[in-house]
This record gives sequence, structure tokens and C-alpha cells, in this order.
Amino acid sequence: MRPRLFPWRKATETMVQNKLLKIHNLHKSYGDLEIFKGLSLAMDRGDRLVIIGPSGGGKSTLLRIVMGLEDIVGGDVYLDGKPYILRDGGKTKIDHKLQARVGMVFQHYTLFPHLDILRNLTLAPVKTRGTPRAEAEAKAMALLDRFGLAAKARSYPSQLSGGQKQRVAIARALMLDPDLLLFDEVTSALDPELVAEVEAVMMELADQGMPMMIVTHDMHFARNIASRVVFAAGGVVVEDGPPEQVLDNPQVARTREFVERVFARKK
Amino acid sequence: MTYDLQFFYVWQNLDKLGRGVLVSLELTGLANLIGLTAGFAIALMLRARTPVLRVPATALVELFRCTPVLIQVVWFFYCVPILFNLFVDPMVMAVLALGLNLAAFNAEGYRAAIQSVPREQYDACAALGLGGWTRVRHVVLPHALRAALPVLMTNGITIFQQSALVALVAIPDLMYEGKMLSTETYRPIETYTVVAAIYFAISAPISLIVQRIEARFDRVQA
Ligand SMILES: Nc1ncnc2c1ncn2[C@@H]1O[C@H](COP(=O)(O)OP(=O)(O)OP(=O)(O)O)[C@@H](O)[C@H]1O
Ligand SMILES: [Mg+2]
Repeated sequence: MRPRLFPWRKATETMVQNKLLKIHNLHKSYGDLEIFKGLSLAMDRGDRLVIIGPSGGGKSTLLRIVMGLEDIVGGDVYLDGKPYILRDGGKTKIDHKLQARVGMVFQHYTLFPHLDILRNLTLAPVKTRGTPRAEAEAKAMALLDRFGLAAKARSYPSQLSGGQKQRVAIARALMLDPDLLLFDEVTSALDPELVAEVEAVMMELADQGMPMMIVTHDMHFARNIASRVVFAAGGVVVEDGPPEQVLDNPQVARTREFVERVFARKK
Repeated sequence: MTYDLQFFYVWQNLDKLGRGVLVSLELTGLANLIGLTAGFAIALMLRARTPVLRVPATALVELFRCTPVLIQVVWFFYCVPILFNLFVDPMVMAVLALGLNLAAFNAEGYRAAIQSVPREQYDACAALGLGGWTRVRHVVLPHALRAALPVLMTNGITIFQQSALVALVAIPDLMYEGKMLSTETYRPIETYTVVAAIYFAISAPISLIVQRIEARFDRVQA
């Protein structure tokens, strides 16, 4: 057993119960560049959060922080009511047990190019969870089958289209049964005709109740998949509500300005 | 000027050149053994956080990269025995000189290859909970070794050609046997042409393979 990182965990647990994810007063900088200035955000189990905001506003950074890929400057993040990420003694502390319950899909797939698709899926469960290989492979094949990729199990990533690669990346994340799945512009690198197949897979996961945090520029897709839309700008959450509110009838002037600009560009 | 090419004497003494080839290949093989293993170790030292490892590794690499191989061979052959008062088989010295030279160049190749592993791959590992040795063994190394392979092979055949320098310290390699033969037969043009052809015939296929591999990598990357 590794020593407990958070001996005070018990005391705080009750305070933030029921929320799948709770980000409290988050501060983050890259050098002099302040990205988050006390951002707070909470998410329930049934939520599918779509994050929108200006380019360079920190959407990717937010997902990377929740994935445990970035140091923070201040604030804390709770997962399932337990302290997940916080500052302690001038350092960012990440509870790796909780990190393992979060999964992420990246814009550029980031499959392992030297492993075939099946191995891409089984590597993590076999090596880090001790899942027997046969069991992991059966699970992988079931996932690939579900995503229409069973025939590609023995192909290498370079032999797949972008849309196929991205679906494999989603399957790879699902292999670890995450409680929360993060998607950072997963269709942005795809040719337009391949976007739909990836979005369909995400819609299917949404229908099954998978909690997701999604960054996308596709407002149409955002409206379809989101249970809540969060507009983040200037280092804080500016507006947060159901898609009908944030996208169609924003309450805050700044959101309205952004949404109008985005929709105007689309037309 | 007319010169009557006479390859007869060379053909007659081909066995001598053959023995020379074996010595050259032996030198190259052993130097590559050192170059591939020590080079990897040095590359890891180059990447170490502590200067205790990094500084000597950097010094060694730069020393070998910034002096002529000829000096390195001569130095190992003439200076090491005097400085350290030990007399070692010349072949061992030649292997050491070439091997360490190759290790220095390979270390740089390994280092660049490890560096070339995209940051996204590390992100993917972190997101999947792959860390420590598992990450090195299953993601970083396969990536890096593939990237390093063409460089390592190119360096490896370069050392085969560089090994001709040991003829200077009387090791009976291909170059040395060629020199002897040309003096014996008074047929320098024929002898050296055949010797060059042999070096070429051994290096060229490997060079071609390297090109193939690189072309394939470019395709996979795209
Ligand atoms: N590793 C880094 N080092 C320094 N600055 C960074 C780093 N990563 C991101 N940034 C900067 O932080 C800011 C926020 O970046 P981020 O990628 O989170 O924005 P984003 O909202 O995802 O933008 P986009 O819509 O273009 O993807 C940007 O100004 C970016 O240049
Ligand atoms: Mg981004």
C-alpha cells in the first residue's frame, strides 16, 4: 500500500457529496500568462458538460487539469467527493487512484503507432490493472465490434482513417471503465465526412449515461449532446446552464456576444 | 599515358584480402556491440537530471565527436599504453577506440530519438495510467528505437569504413592487407580499386536498407 496522500480526506468528503466532479477556485498560469483566475465548476453524474469559449481561453487546459496532466497554481478538484487534485506544500498533488477513474480522448488520437489496434486497447488494462490478457482482449473485441471496428483489430493505426483512429481512441479510454470521460476537440482534426461517425459514437455513450466533459467548436453537436453548456472566458465560468439557455438565449452579455459571433461565422 | 591493367595478381591473392575483410568485419561487429550498448547507456546519462552523470557523458560525447577518428585510434594505440603503463593487444585497443567513437555518435542518435517521442504520447500514457518502467518499455523505447534505427545503422556502416584507419597501427584489416599486396605486386591501382570495391559491396546494401526503412517511416508518420 502506498502511504495516503490525503490523510484529511475523511473530513472533506461530506462537504462535496453527490457531485461527480467539483472544481473549486482553480488558478492556473503558464509563466506570466494567467489562464484561470478562480474558476469553479461542478458536475453531476448525469451531466454531459460542453465547454465553449474563445480560442486560447483555456478549454484544453481545463480538461488537461481534470485529467491530471497539468500542475495548478491554486484551488482544488474533487472527484466523487474525494480530494483529487490540490496544492500542498507548494506542489500540485494528484491522487492517482482517482486519476485512474478519469479517461481522456485527444484531438490527435495519440494512439500508440507501434502497436496494433487490439494491443492499443489492451496495453493499459493488462499492464496497469493486471487484467488477464484473454479477458482484456475479449473486452476489446466487444468494444471494437460495437464501434464497427472488429475487422481492424490487427491493423496498425497508420492503416486507419482519422475517424476510425478516433473511435479506437474512444474505445481505448473505455477499456478502463472511466467514471468520467473527457473529449478535447476530438473531431477537429477530421475531414468533414468523418466527423459524423465519431459524433455518433459519442451520442451512443451519452445515451448510456456516460458522464462526459466535451470541448467542441461544433455548436450543432454541442446542442445535441449537452445536458449543460459552460461558457468559460477570462479565466472564469461566465455562464453555465442548459443548452437552450446558453446557446439560444444567453443571460450574460459576454456569452451572447460570443455565441452570436460563432453562429454568424457558421453562416 | 597508357597503363596496362593487370588484375591477375590481385585475384591470385584474394585470400589475403579475404582475411583482411574478416578482420575488418570483426572490428566493425565488436565496435557496434560497444556502440549500441554503451551508446544507449551514455544516452541515458545525457538525459539524467544529476550533473554527476550528465557532465561526464557530455564531455565524452563531445570529445569523440570533435576530434578526428584517426587521432583517436592513434591515441589509443600509442598513448594509452604509456599513460596507463599497460600493454594490451592492438586489436583490443582498436575495438575500444572505434567502439567508443561509435558509442558517442550513437548516444547522440539515441538521445535525439528519445527526444523525438511526441509529448502527446506521454499525455496518452498518463491518461491511461501507464507510468514508470511500463511506459518506458512499451511506449517510449519502441518509439525511440524505431526512430534511432536508421541513424544507428548509418553510424554502424560508417565505422566499417572508418575501421580502415587501423591499418595505420598495423592491424591486418582489409586496408592493411591491400596496402601490403599493392607493395608486393606493384599493382596499386588494381589492388586499391578492388579494396574499395569490397568496402563498397559491403556498405552499399546496408545503406540501401537504411533508405528503405526511412522511406517506410516517412509513410507511417504521414
Ligand atoms: N504548455 C504550455 N505552455 C505555455 N503556454 C501554454 C501551454 N499550453 C497552453 N498554453 C497557452 O495557454 C492558453 C490556453 O490554452 P488552451 O490550449 O487551454 O486554450 P483552448 O481554449 O483550448 O484554445 P483552442 O480553442 O484554440 O484549442 C493559450 O494562450 C496557450 O497558448
Ligand atoms: Mg484547445
